[in-house]
Amino acid sequence: MNVGDLLDARVLGPDGVPLGVVVDVRLALETRDEPDDGPGGREDREDREDSEDRKDSEHDAALSSRARRDAVGGAVVLGLLVGPRRAGSYHGYERTQVRSPWPVPQIVRRLHRGTYLVRWQDVAAVDDGAAAGAGGWSVRLAPGYAELPPELG
Amino acid sequence: MTHGPRIVDARLHLLSRQVLDVDGEPVSTVDDLELRGPDGSEARAGQEAHVAAILVGPALVTRLFGGRAPTSRMPRIAWDDVGHLGTAVELAVSSDGLDADWVEHWVRERLVERIPGGRHDPEGDR
Amino acid sequence: MKKVFAAALGILTAIGGFVDIGDLVTNAVVGSRFGMSLVWVVVVGVVGICLFASMAGRVTAVSGRATFEIIRERLGPRAAGANLVASFAINLLTLTAEIGGIALALHLASSVEPRLWIPVAGLAVWLVLWRVKFQIMENVAGLMGLLLVGFAVALFLLGPDWGELLRQAVPPSPPGTEHPASYWYYAVALFGAAMTPYEVFFFSSGAVEERWTAKDLSTNRVNVLVGFPLGGLLSVAIAACAAVVLLPAGIEVSSLSQIVLPVAQAGGVLLLALVIVGIVAATFGAALETALSSGYTVAQYLGWSWGKFRRPARAARFHLTMIVALLLGVGILMTSVDPIAVTEMSVVFSAVALPLTYVPILVVANDPEYMGEHVNGRVVNALGTVYLVIVVVAAVAAIPLMIATGAGS
Repeated sequence: MNVGDLLDARVLGPDGVPLGVVVDVRLALETRDEPDDGPGGREDREDREDSEDRKDSEHDAALSSRARRDAVGGAVVLGLLVGPRRAGSYHGYERTQVRSPWPVPQIVRRLHRGTYLVRWQDVAAVDDGAAAGAGGWSVRLAPGYAELPPELG
Repeated sequence: MTHGPRIVDARLHLLSRQVLDVDGEPVSTVDDLELRGPDGSEARAGQEAHVAAILVGPALVTRLFGGRAPTSRMPRIAWDDVGHLGTAVELAVSSDGLDADWVEHWVRERLVERIPGGRHDPEGDR
Repeated sequence: MKKVFAAALGILTAIGGFVDIGDLVTNAVVGSRFGMSLVWVVVVGVVGICLFASMAGRVTAVSGRATFEIIRERLGPRAAGANLVASFAINLLTLTAEIGGIALALHLASSVEPRLWIPVAGLAVWLVLWRVKFQIMENVAGLMGLLLVGFAVALFLLGPDWGELLRQAVPPSPPGTEHPASYWYYAVALFGAAMTPYEVFFFSSGAVEERWTAKDLSTNRVNVLVGFPLGGLLSVAIAACAAVVLLPAGIEVSSLSQIVLPVAQAGGVLLLALVIVGIVAATFGAALETALSSGYTVAQYLGWSWGKFRRPARAARFHLTMIVALLLGVGILMTSVDPIAVTEMSVVFSAVALPLTYVPILVVANDPEYMGEHVNGRVVNALGTVYLVIVVVAAVAAIPLMIATGAGS
C-alpha cells in the first residue's frame, strides 16, 4: 500500500455511505536531538569544498535558522484527513494559520470547509478497487469512528 | 531543538519535495511513499503502519496517469536512509550508491561525459 | 571599494540584462503605432517585475528551493506537470525568438544571411552554457547590453518635441486611427515583454547558482529596484525613438533594421554599430537565460541535479535538456519563420502563462515553514494582491484580444 493509493480514495462510512475523499495522510515523525547540523545540509555544492568551505558553512547556518529543519527517524501513520472534495492545488491552508496573501487562503479554506481527521485505528478496510466497477481505491471507516479537528499540532 | 514527534501531512510536507543526498546533491523528488506493517509485512487498514520507502520515477507516472505498477519493482530509497526533513528531504547517504539514480548515471556516462569538456569544472577557471 | 564595485556591477548588469528581443520589438512596434500612449504599461510592468523578481530571489535565498521545485511541491504532480508543459513551451518560444534576434542583429552588422547565422548563434550559446562560469556569463552579457543606451542617446540627438511626447504619455491618448482592441492587445503584449516568466525561473535559480543567503537579500533588492527601472527607461527610449521617427513616417515595424532606423538617422554609423553590438549582447544574454530556464524548469520539476556551477557530468540530464531545447529552437528558426513574428507571439503567451508562476511564489513567500521571519510584509503583500489581479486579468484577456484583433494587425 502506498500513500499515493490512499490519496483521493473515496471514503465510505461503516454502512457504505460516501463521506468524501482522502485529502491527506497524517504521519508522526520521530525527531532526534542534534546540536550540530552536520555536513551536507542544504542545496550544497560539490567540487568546491577546498576553496569555499567557509562560505558554505555560513550559508548553511544562515539558512537553517530560518526555514524549519529536523533530524528525523521513523514515520508512523496516525490517520487520514477526510475532506468533502479532492484537495487540488494549494492544499493545506485549512490546517495552518497562514492568512496571507489575501484572497488565496480564504478561497482555499472555503473550498475545504468540513475537513476532519480520522484515526488510522478507525479505518476498517482499504479496497484497491481491482474488482470490476469498484471505481478506484476506497476506504471504509469502522463503526464508532470519530471526526477529529484537522489542525496540525 | 524539537522534542517529541513532529506531526506532518504526507501530501503537504513530503510528497513532491526535493530529495537531496548527504552532500546536498539533488537525487529526485518524493513521488510516492510506500507503507509497510511491522517487520516489513504488508500494511493493513487500522493496523500499525509506517513509511518504509520513498518511491521515485515510475511512481510519478502512475500518480499522473493512474494505473498500477508492481510496487516491489519501483526504484526506491529506504526511509532508513533519510536524515533530515526541511524544505527538502535530506538523505544520510550518497547518491552514487543509490540505484534510484540510475538514469542520471546512465546519461552522464553514455552521453555527457563523452562530449569534450563534460567533466570541466566551470567554477575552476578564474 | 570592492563592495561599491560589486554593487555597481550588479546594478549595471541588471540594467543591461533587462532588455531582450521581446522588449526591443514590442516597444518599437508600440512606439511606431501608438506613440508614447502605452508608456504607462512599461511602468506597470517594471514595478511588477521588481516585485516578482525580488520575491522569487528572497524565497530561494531563504528556503534554498528554486521556483519550479516550489511549483511542484505546492501544486502536486498533475497541476505542476501541466504548468511545466505550458512553461516549457513558452520558454522555448522565447528562446527561439532570442536566437533569431542574435541572427538578425549579426545579419545587420555583416549582411550575411540570417539563416547562416542561426546555427552559429545556437552553437555559441551552447558553448557558453557548457564552459563559461555563471558570473562571467552574466556580467559580460549585462555590461555589453548597456550599449543599448544608444537608443537614449539617439533620442536626444533627434531633438524631439518633448512636450508632445509627454502629452502622448500622460494622460494616455492613443492615436484616433487605432482600434481600442488593438491598443489593449499591445498593452498586454508590452506587459508580457516586461514580466516574462523565464526571468523568474532565471532569478530564483540564479540565486542558487550564485549561492545567495538571507544576507545577500539587501544587495539583491538594490540590484532589482535600481537596475530594472533604469532598464525600463531603455525600453521607453526605444519606444520614443520609434514614436519620433517611425510614427510620423507611417512605418510599421516588421524588421530589426526598422527598429534601429532612428539610431542610424540620429547618430550615424558609429552609434548604429554600438547599438547593434548592444542588441547582440542583450539577445545573447537572454538566449542564455532562456536556455538555462528550460533546463531549470524540467530538472526542478523532476528533482534532477541542475546548475551551471556543477560540472556538466554532475548535472547530466540538465545539460541534455538544454541541448535539446537549443536544437529545437534552431530547428524552428531554420523553417524560415520570421523571428519578429515569433517574438510577438512569445510576449503575448508570456502574459498568458504568468499566473502559473506568479501565484505559487506569492503563496510560498507567505509560508513561515519556508520563509521563517522573511515572510512578505504588509506592503509587499498589498502590492502582491494588486498584481495578482493585474496578472490574472492580462492572462485572461490575452487570447480573446489576440483573436479579436487578428494579433494586432
